[in-house]
Amino acid sequence: MKKAFRLISAILMIFIVFNVLLTGCGNNASSMDDKAAASETAQAAASSPEKAQNSEPVKLKFTYWASPDEKKIYDAAAKKYADSTNGRVTIDSQCIPSDYDTKLTAMIAGNNAPDVAMMESATITFPLAEQGKLMNLKQFTDKDSSVNFDTLVPNITYWSDKDNLIGIAPGPEMFLLYYNKDMFQAAGVEPPPSKYSDAWTWDEFVEIAKKLTIDQSGKNATQEGFDPKKIKQYGVNGFTGWWGAWGNFIYGNGGDFVTKDGKFGLSQPEATEALQKIADLVNVYHVHPGPVQLKSMPGSDQALLTKKVAMVLDGQWSNLSIAMAKVNYGVGVLPKLKENTTTMVVCGMFSVFKSTKYPDESWALIKALIDPESTMELNKGGAWMPSLKSYYTEPELIDKWATGTARPEGYKDAAIDMMLNHSITGPTFYVKNYNKIMDIANPALDKVWLGQQSAADAMKAIEEKAQAQVQGRRD
Amino acid sequence: MKKTNTFKKALIYIIIGLLSITFILPFIWMLRSSLMELQQIFIMPPQWIPNPVKLENYIHALTIVPFALYFKNTMIILILGMVGTLITSTLSAYSFARLRWKGRDFWFKVILTSMMLPGAVTLIPQFLGWNALGMVGSFVPLIVPAFFGGGAFNIFLLRQFYMSIPLELDEAAIVDGASFFRIYTSIILPLSRSAIIVIAIFSFMFYWNDFMGPLIYLTDESKYTLAIGLQMFQGAYNTRWEELMAASTSIILPCVLIFIIGQKYFLEGITMSGLKG
Amino acid sequence: MSGLSGDVISGKQTIRNKKVKSNEQFFGILFALPAILGFLIFVLGPMIASLIYSFTDYSLFNKPTFIGLQNYKDFFSGTDPFFYKSLLVTFYYVLLNVPATIIFSFFIALLLNNEIKGRPLFRAIFYLPSIVPAVASAMIWMWLLNPDLGLVNNILSALHLPTSQWLFAEKSVIPSVVLTGLWTTGGTMVIFLAGLSGIPTVYYEAVEIDGGNSFHKFFNVTLPMVSPTIFFNTIMAIISSFQVFTQAYILTQGGPNNASLFYVFLLWREGFKNTRMGYASALAWILFIIILLLTMLTFRSSNSLVYYEGERKNS
Repeated sequence: MKKAFRLISAILMIFIVFNVLLTGCGNNASSMDDKAAASETAQAAASSPEKAQNSEPVKLKFTYWASPDEKKIYDAAAKKYADSTNGRVTIDSQCIPSDYDTKLTAMIAGNNAPDVAMMESATITFPLAEQGKLMNLKQFTDKDSSVNFDTLVPNITYWSDKDNLIGIAPGPEMFLLYYNKDMFQAAGVEPPPSKYSDAWTWDEFVEIAKKLTIDQSGKNATQEGFDPKKIKQYGVNGFTGWWGAWGNFIYGNGGDFVTKDGKFGLSQPEATEALQKIADLVNVYHVHPGPVQLKSMPGSDQALLTKKVAMVLDGQWSNLSIAMAKVNYGVGVLPKLKENTTTMVVCGMFSVFKSTKYPDESWALIKALIDPESTMELNKGGAWMPSLKSYYTEPELIDKWATGTARPEGYKDAAIDMMLNHSITGPTFYVKNYNKIMDIANPALDKVWLGQQSAADAMKAIEEKAQAQVQGRRD
Repeated sequence: MKKTNTFKKALIYIIIGLLSITFILPFIWMLRSSLMELQQIFIMPPQWIPNPVKLENYIHALTIVPFALYFKNTMIILILGMVGTLITSTLSAYSFARLRWKGRDFWFKVILTSMMLPGAVTLIPQFLGWNALGMVGSFVPLIVPAFFGGGAFNIFLLRQFYMSIPLELDEAAIVDGASFFRIYTSIILPLSRSAIIVIAIFSFMFYWNDFMGPLIYLTDESKYTLAIGLQMFQGAYNTRWEELMAASTSIILPCVLIFIIGQKYFLEGITMSGLKG
Repeated sequence: MSGLSGDVISGKQTIRNKKVKSNEQFFGILFALPAILGFLIFVLGPMIASLIYSFTDYSLFNKPTFIGLQNYKDFFSGTDPFFYKSLLVTFYYVLLNVPATIIFSFFIALLLNNEIKGRPLFRAIFYLPSIVPAVASAMIWMWLLNPDLGLVNNILSALHLPTSQWLFAEKSVIPSVVLTGLWTTGGTMVIFLAGLSGIPTVYYEAVEIDGGNSFHKFFNVTLPMVSPTIFFNTIMAIISSFQVFTQAYILTQGGPNNASLFYVFLLWREGFKNTRMGYASALAWILFIIILLLTMLTFRSSNSLVYYEGERKNS
């Protein structure tokens, strides 16, 4: 019996060792293969003309996230490219509907990275780029006649440093001030201007928001006896919470998330002034719902439709849901602070992994995916904007996507002109260690929106901790 | 005596009734949302009657994603996983609860520790192990662990139940010359029916709803499961709530049925049949 | 005559006992082997791997470098601004959640163990919130607990009772999360139900014959007979409460002002969002040790409190 026990123990030990070795080896193997792959791709890039003629079958692995509707469009775009190669290239596309980073991380750690992947700037993309896992796409844009920096719309490329292009967006996204036309008409107020040069000043904006904030007895916020505890309709929403929203006004007031000389930007006077002005919308003027009221505030489309708010600051993509909800709406530019009005660009991207054996085909797939024609349904439907500049400048191309119910009054000025001529990149494009900085700033901002602390005090209080996480800028 | 009994009964009904209302709310919210237009879902305070009733939500939700295929995949994993879990967890727990052998208590405690380390840090090493064996992309990593004990939770739960069964039953059987395996099949399993049903219900729910496992280990969309299909309804730009709720309702209805059927077979007072058998 | 035959029989029995004993050792290991192998193959390797990672700067994409105890130093010395806060938040949650879960689900199980009409339906209803997708449940909670428009505060103020900010104030967020968690204790309740259903009815009859009332029945029969189940549910509640993540993530995202920043949320954020798997592994091992110690303590103190009808101590 004892012998049997010992035998079993011995077998078990082998299992343990085997297991530990396996997990350990996985990494070594992957780093070795990476080197091999890297040199291979370098060669491949150098000898690309011959390679393109090669008729050996190519299988590209492509990962992305999407809703069922979007999935159809990506699959169709990928198929269109595959068909154009007469069956030489097949695409193994995999839609990963959530926990995308976890899945991708596992694939990479398992030395099984995709060739082309949709990526998001605020998560694992830059850490990957810093470990040299992503291919520099500049080698392609430098040579490509149809997709390069003259043809792409500005601000949709991600760079890990000045010369390393790691991703290109399928299109930009930016911010708009949506408004319910009926509500403005009922209040007899002029709607938000859509032209860059006509943007409201902050004071004008607050005055109009007050007129559109109405309590249960029907009094608006400019009138005597207005009860801020019983508000039925808010003038404005969408400024607090996510950095994508209030970030516009940090830039609009001449501030930054991390300054050019490497300081934590949000505690600088330009930034705290902007943050305070937004907090005042909630706590001084009562024209914007606070964090508590926001929890019972539906998405922008429903809020506008049910007349809970008159104006909403939201991303361009909301045109899709607002148009679907059949709101009678228009769009305008954001109010301006010290500087002229502007809008941040935020967007995802497509990247190529260095481990790919087929860089040229991968690039061709990216081109197919960002081609405005293949994603026209999304462009026209309201979710996306095209990636190529010509779709913003040439009237017949504009007409292809910027018409219809999801492209309302004011869109051509407030979205197309703003995007092309007055947009800037958001912080995730260039701030290093962005997530860690915001992990510290966000809880402090909770207090600002709740009115428990002034923006200047709250930001001062965390300045030191946040500064410890600042690692400079990529540009 | 009678009076206090009726009073007690009435009180029980009132408490259960009131609590039931709050407990059924999320289900009702989901059900009515699945039959509504998007606009109606978020009106505050909630409206409970869909107007108009949109059955199309179900048709659209169940056709936009290949649910039949995903159902087949889910069932393969689920049936094999449940078989493995039920066989090995009942057997292992029997050994830990009722047999005496050297190292028993040590191994039991060691197995319990597997629940104490957050899964977030073992996920990747586990994946790398399966990857090295070339099993990633197949159902193997999702099914095979079930045949190795079926998880510490189940073993622990069964052990607690087995330990409540009177020892005299085993001893009498041993005197009669029964083998340990025979004791397990003819005494332990029948007398712990309630606990086994609980484990069957829980493992059904687990395999039916498991999202992370299939997402990490499956690499081919044609092998996806229902839980992954459901996740697709939460889009990146906007969530189609009415369709999400229609898909969710369709997916949890089998769970409700399984639960109602399963718990009907709970043992009600074991001794009568037990001690005589 | 009779004495002799008795000796013969007892002699036979010891031989049999010896045989049974060695048999028992063999079959004991054999039957437990799937579970033991399962642990060694699928659990131990990854556990050891994560322990090794915890002494490195592994990011999942780089070649890990050994950095000794640096990760551990980082959070104990306070370089990580969130470590102590999240530990405190999590302990507070566990302290409230474990007793609340056990008492509440036991109470429901007792109610549903009565002879009432429609019992299968009621049992299903109490289990429902555990299987309804969390996003749907979250919507209901946001409505019920909304400080201004919510049903709960409206009822409270109608009864002239103090209202609360619930999930929206630093002080009340954790109790609110515990409260919402009571809703998804269906699994615990089902286990209690299974335990209750296994109590032999003769014991209750015996109490009745002795003239005992329901009070005696509860304390002399029900409680000791389900003590193994209570023990199980307590251990599981401790283990799972320390690892609380999803529900709070959906309801509060760690806010307001980090008041619900649970430990495993912090760990997940470090591991997958900030790609510091080495650091996350170190965090995980600290939690592992905490849970292990508390579980051991509970096991120790259970000896006198838990009654096993069929316990066989390993001699």
